[in-house]
Formats: sequence, C-alpha cells, structure tokens
Amino acid sequence: MNDEPRPTSSRRGLVTAMIGAVMTAAAAISTSVFRGGQAKANGNSSEPGTKERKVQYGMVIDVRRCIGCHACTVACKSEFDVPPGVNRSWVEYVEKGVYPNVGRSFLPRLCNHCSEPPCVSVCPTDATWKREQDGIVVVDSGLCIGCKYCIQACPYDARFLNPVTNVADKCDFCIHRVSQGLTPSCVNTCVGGARIFGDLGDPDSDISKLIARNQVTVLRGEMGTLPNVYYISADHTDEIDAGRPEVRKVEVITHRRDKKRR
Amino acid sequence: MGGELTWGLPVILYLFLAGVGAGVGTVSASVLLRGGGGGFGGDHFRLARIGALLSPLPVIVGTTLIVFELGQPSRAFNLFKVINLSPMNIGSWLLLVFICTSVLYALAFLPSFMPEMKHLSDRLERVRRGFAWVNVPMGIGVAVYTGVMLGAMPSRPLWNSPILALLFLISALSTGVAAIILLRAIFRRKSADPATEQGYHQSAYLLTASDVMLIGFELMVIFLFIMFAHLTIGNMKYAVSIILPGGDMAMMFWVWVVLIGLLLPGLAELAYVLPRLLYHRHYAAPVAVEVLVSIGVLIGGFMLRYVIVVAGQVTGPMGI
Ligand code: SF4
Ligand code: SF4
Ligand code: SF4
Repeated sequence: MNDEPRPTSSRRGLVTAMIGAVMTAAAAISTSVFRGGQAKANGNSSEPGTKERKVQYGMVIDVRRCIGCHACTVACKSEFDVPPGVNRSWVEYVEKGVYPNVGRSFLPRLCNHCSEPPCVSVCPTDATWKREQDGIVVVDSGLCIGCKYCIQACPYDARFLNPVTNVADKCDFCIHRVSQGLTPSCVNTCVGGARIFGDLGDPDSDISKLIARNQVTVLRGEMGTLPNVYYISADHTDEIDAGRPEVRKVEVITHRRDKKRR
Repeated sequence: MGGELTWGLPVILYLFLAGVGAGVGTVSASVLLRGGGGGFGGDHFRLARIGALLSPLPVIVGTTLIVFELGQPSRAFNLFKVINLSPMNIGSWLLLVFICTSVLYALAFLPSFMPEMKHLSDRLERVRRGFAWVNVPMGIGVAVYTGVMLGAMPSRPLWNSPILALLFLISALSTGVAAIILLRAIFRRKSADPATEQGYHQSAYLLTASDVMLIGFELMVIFLFIMFAHLTIGNMKYAVSIILPGGDMAMMFWVWVVLIGLLLPGLAELAYVLPRLLYHRHYAAPVAVEVLVSIGVLIGGFMLRYVIVVAGQVTGPMGI
C-alpha cells in the first residue's frame, strides 16, 4: 500500500545490530532532551518567516460547507477497499437542543497527521512513523505486528486493525494520489468543497491562506498532539455535555461501529 | 460500556500472569539472597525453590497468550529487530531476558531434588545466586513495565498516571507471594518432626507478614491513584468516575478488587501475623486459611488488571 522509499531518519533502517540500536536509543533520548534548547536557539538567530520550512501536508475542513452526505467516507472506502465495519474517514453528526430549538452539525473525521503523534512514539517495531518529506504519518503494513498499541494511543480513534490484513491501518492522506499531484480522494469527491488539502508549510498555499484568514480549531488540542487537520466552524459539543445541568440534549451519531466517541 | 475492546481478555490475562510470574521470581530470588543457602533448616531454600520453579510458567503462558492476540503472531520477532523507546519494545526485551534467566534459575534448582546429586547442587549454589541477582531487577522491571505500557498514553486518561506502574508492581509482588503461599499449602506434607513444622511456619510467617505489608501498601497506592484522579478537573476525573460509586464498574472494583482481593485477605493475614509480631506467639495459620487468603489475593490481582484495562478503554478524553 505504501511503496514510497523510507526516510533516512536516524531512527529508521537499523536492524538487529544491538549495539547500534542502543546507541540510537541514546541518541533519541539526547535529541528529545535537547530539542527544546535548539528550537529556542533557532528562533533567536533567524527572523520569523526566514527559517527553512518543512513540507507538512494538512487539511482544513470547512464545516460550514459540509452537508453530511458521506461522499468522502464512500470515496475513501472505495479508494482503499476498506473492509466493512472500519473507516479511514467518517462523518459524525452532532445534534443539540430540544424542539423547536434544535440544530445538527457535521464533523468529518480522519487522521490528523499530528506533529507530535503519540501513535508513533508507542510503536514497538517502528512500523509507523512520520515522514520527513511531507509530514504524513504512515504505517508499514509489512512491518506492523498488529499489537494495537497505536490504536490505543491515538486520541482520535483514527486507527483500526484492518480485519483483512490484520495490521494497523488509517488515513495516509492518499500518498499514492498526492505524490502524483492529485488531491486526496475524499477532497476530490467532496460535493461542497468542504475539504481543502495542501502544504501547511507553504505560506502561499490555499490552505495556509484559509487558516490565516479564519478562526480555526483542532480536535482535542489539549492532548498535545498538534493536529494538522484544522476545522472552521466545527461544533466541539460532545455527549458528555449532555450531563451538564444547563445543557438539555446532545446526541452524537458517529456512523461507526463504535457508537461512542472514545 | 459498549464498543469493542482493543485489548481484551488475552491482554488482561497476560498483564496478570506476567505480574504473578515476575512477582514470584522476585520474591524467590530475594529470599534466596537473604539466606536461602542454609540457616532456617533449609526452609528458605525450599521456599526460594518452589518460587523458582513456578516463576517462568505464568510468564510463558501469558506471553503465549499475548503473542496470539497480535494481529500478526508470526511477526512477533519484529519486536526484536529494533530497540526504541516504546514501552512495549523495552518491555519485550525485559520479558525476553526474564524468561531466559528465570528458566535457567529454575533449572539450577533441579539437582537439589535428587540426594545423589547433592554435590552438583552445592556447586550450583553460586549459579543460583547469580541468577537471583539478575532476576530481582528483571522481575521488578517486567512488573513495572506492564504499568508503564498502559500509562504512556494521554488518550487513556485513567491509565495516564505515573502511580499505575507502582500499583502494578506492588500487586505483582503481592500476587507473587500469594502464589507461593498457595503452592506451599497445596504441596504441604505434615511432618511428625516438630522442627520441620516449626520451619514451615517460620517461612510461612515471613511470606504472610510481607504480604500484609504489600497489601497495606497497595491500598495506599489505590487511595492515592483514585484520590488524585478525582481531585483533578477534566479527563482524569471524568475517567476515574467509572470506578467510583455510581460508575459502571464501581461494584466490580470495590467488591472484587478492594474487598475480596485486598481487605479481607489482608485482615485475615493480619489476624495471624499480629500475635506473633506483638507478643512473639507461635505463628501457625491453618492450611484452609492460607489457601483462601492466597486465592483471594490472586483473584483480586486479576480483577485489578481487568477493571483497569477495561475501564481505561471505555473511557476517553472528555469532549472532542
Ligand atoms: S490522528 Fe491519531 S493516528 Fe493520526 S497521527 Fe494523530 S495520533 Fe496518529
Ligand atoms: S499495531 Fe503495528 S503500527 Fe501500531 S503500534 Fe503495533 S506494530 Fe506499530
Ligand atoms: S486523505 Fe485519502 S485516506 Fe485520508 S480520509 Fe481522505 S480519502 Fe481517506
């Protein structure tokens, strides 16, 4: 599914050699310890905007344009032959209020290709990683052992165990399409133009302009994952809010096998 | 509750069994190092031996269970192609080492069963002690890592607590002691010789007294775990409410884990330990009590893993 060349980050590519691996572990520790300091140093030495930017693919979901038609869900399903019962992308409905004061809004979901992806840091086999070249978080289906640790660690329930291949699976931003200059399948199919895909690292991209000019939010920002999927006008109401005395009725329809958000 | 569990019964059983095995191994090795060579009429040696023979079994059974819980069991070896900072990776390496050393440790005890091999057995004493020195940190490592593995994820607020690893460690040691008490009680042959009986009770006292201490400590850690989750506002408080009164899993937690697994066995053990501790009375717990108490502790240990693993997965962060 993912036949891109693997990145040459220091963590990848070394196998079996125990000593080498121990050194990498030590290097990983020291990098993460010193990362903070380095970032600060960079910030001081260069003017804002002049420092080299990385490509980071991302998506804006403009909920005002979403009509909850599930075309993205279906396009994604057929693009990847995603087996029944699991989804790389899905659309949730959020219903609030008591008749006649009621409202329903939509929340299209997919992997956030987080900048601090907890799914990557828990993977015991290095089968999932964030690509250096475009920031897409991928799974190597040939290396994954299906331990499901990443599925637990994702705060967005974006991952699942593929019942056919028995390995972890999720949205990969349609690498096979975007590497050919096409838009992802769900973006391509979206009837309202609610999904906008592009490079967040490029200040002149459509997506960067959209983010600059609108109020955007991310899902569960408090998790510290730094998501790269942004929402315009998303309703962050959750069923938990129904338990509050001042909120009378909230219903979340996930359209997934898991009827509740977790 | 609803929803499928990403980690189900095999993982729960694994966490429990690995804990018991690691606990038994640690306890056996500590007893050996603290004077199992001779002294006490060899009773500490026998205690260490029964632990040594038991320790690898639950760990191996648990590991087998968890390997077949993988989506791709045949690829389990991929875990050992890299070393990274994933708690599961570190844990797998620890587990691999512990399985090897605990099996070798157990083998080093075998000649001591055959009187004609006494010479060999005596020579192996150094080997046993060597492995004991390795097994104490390895056993503690395996037990701790089961908690670290769960605790490493903000997406699971109930688990995301540094004290969970400590809780699992203490529970592992306590269930380890209970497993040894249970085995000794089952395989016990009453002896007419009062000295032998005395020795049996002497080491039983050692085990029971340690277990009382561990149970007390475990209750304390559970109190801190719940109290601090409850005092927080937000994800943790919301998640922990599932095991607090009114929560879906409250009965299971308070009855099976706290009452049957900790309070009742702890009190029963205390009743036998106190007279000896305070008034230097003779310690002799009936076999039935030993069996019941240790079964209670083992059930409690399993239910602790069950409740924590399930409750952690059916709760998540608040809001979206
Ligand atoms: S959304 Fe989940 S699966 Fe995707 S990168 Fe973030 S943590 Fe990983
Ligand atoms: S399921 Fe696969 S990708 Fe996920 S943590 Fe386990 S080995 Fe890594
Ligand atoms: S980007 Fe591709 S894989 Fe991801 S949700 Fe859209 S169609 Fe599915």
